[in-house]
Amino acid sequence: MEDMIFYDRLQFAFTITFHYIFPQLTMGLSLIIVYFKWKYLRSKIEKYNDAAKFFMKIFAVNFTMGVVTGIPMEFQFGTNWANFSELTGGIIGQTLAMEGMFSFFLESSFLVLFIFGEKLMGQKLHFLTGFLVFLGSWASGWFILATNAWMQHPVGYEILDNGKYILNNFSAIFANPWLIPAFLHNQMASVVTSSFVVASIGAFYILREKNIEYGKLFLKTGVVFGIISSLLVAFPTGDWNAKNVAKHQPPSFAAMEGIFKTEDAGAEIVLIGQPNMVEKKIDNKIAVPNVLSFLTYQNWNTQIPGMDQFKKEDLPDNIPALYYSYHIMVGLGTIFIALMALSLFFLWRKKLYHIKFLLWTIMFMVPFPYIANLTGWYVAELGRQPYLVYGLLRTSEGISPTVSSGNTLFTLLGFVGLYMLLGLLFLVLVGKTIHQGPKPQTH
Amino acid sequence: MTETLIALISIVIGIIGANFTGKRFAKFDLGFTGNTLAGVFGSIFLIKSIGRLGFDPVSVMRSGNVDILLLMINFMVSFIGGSAAVVFAKKIRIFMNKRR
Repeated sequence: MEDMIFYDRLQFAFTITFHYIFPQLTMGLSLIIVYFKWKYLRSKIEKYNDAAKFFMKIFAVNFTMGVVTGIPMEFQFGTNWANFSELTGGIIGQTLAMEGMFSFFLESSFLVLFIFGEKLMGQKLHFLTGFLVFLGSWASGWFILATNAWMQHPVGYEILDNGKYILNNFSAIFANPWLIPAFLHNQMASVVTSSFVVASIGAFYILREKNIEYGKLFLKTGVVFGIISSLLVAFPTGDWNAKNVAKHQPPSFAAMEGIFKTEDAGAEIVLIGQPNMVEKKIDNKIAVPNVLSFLTYQNWNTQIPGMDQFKKEDLPDNIPALYYSYHIMVGLGTIFIALMALSLFFLWRKKLYHIKFLLWTIMFMVPFPYIANLTGWYVAELGRQPYLVYGLLRTSEGISPTVSSGNTLFTLLGFVGLYMLLGLLFLVLVGKTIHQGPKPQTH
Repeated sequence: MTETLIALISIVIGIIGANFTGKRFAKFDLGFTGNTLAGVFGSIFLIKSIGRLGFDPVSVMRSGNVDILLLMINFMVSFIGGSAAVVFAKKIRIFMNKRR
């Protein structure tokens, strides 16, 4: 049984990690594309229009990869998590269906119109199609987050005699107090990823002395979007999310912050250290006293319950993974703010395009927002353990009882092979698009 | 769970079909990127639309083992879906780029 849960979780973790590489870029990039198109409509400077069309090509490749890698998850709900799907299908089936019916079709239809239809529609309608692509991609995030928010903090439900969950209040699922902070935090984080991608392509062109005008535009836009979104990820959205966890999932909050023992007064914030699960303490820690209490409750002396206050079976089952994911996310977020603030300073002083060290740093930073986004999701998912639906349905109760761990392992290996192929294809397609660069409009 | 793998392989076949058609019939070629993207959507669209006739991934695995005949039909339909999508996408592109 333990093996079955482990392999089911491993397979889902692998497929969803690979999948989330793509939507996190498309959601943020669609906003930047709309900005470029809007700038073009106002200024009639062609390079903004070229930039919008160039990034829509990168968007299209990412969107397509997101669709391909999303398909296995649709199957996995049924094959690996049959009990979970059967019991909660009446609720999560609705939001997931809405995601497919409204967001996916909106996004894909208008994506085709944006790519092919500029001449046919004229500029204002072309802008509108770009805006609808943006709306579709953010709506997609909204419905997925609504599903996840219900699993983190179930509301508006009723349990039937046969154990199945049904909605008794449709609007409650979208008014879930977990949803808005999680959605805003997630969307801002995806804008961070996109800003770094846009800025790094700009830095690449400047360093290669190729498409320099576009390079400067991309770098400037990426840095401005990057500093705003990096700050918004931390405050207020990140802060709001952490307070939600402290309020609704106190064992997870204690685990992610590394609080093993409850302090008499205010709780310290652990900046660095390694969880020692044998002695129940943080080794080699650097901590600041009382700060966690202040950040969470705006009071230096408010007590925060540590892990010693909860039953073992209610604590997350992999505390080190949760703790490290959270600290990696926060650490990277802090680095992003510092790097983007420094870049903005040199942009303001008109020196950014000439400081090679900074350009190289921006270019090579590209994987890190992806890592920060993924570890952020690990925090949400590891923190919810040992439950699938927090407080109601344990993970061990949601799996398919008839699927063997050997079968899951075999298909996992298959996924690894196929995803390597898809990953390679993705790199070739995006690499070709970046190599070709934006095409200036010819009249 | 093998259904999931079949679904993914089927998409890869669609990509191959689209690129084959693009290269074989140059007037429909959308370039490697365009052909690949069209292949993905063409393959998914056709399998999702008509796969329920009995050759979608779930039907291929219904007996508990892989039904080779149904699997071949699935891959063939996927190949055709990818190819048709390239032709369709090219026609849309030509239509939309006609100056009015």
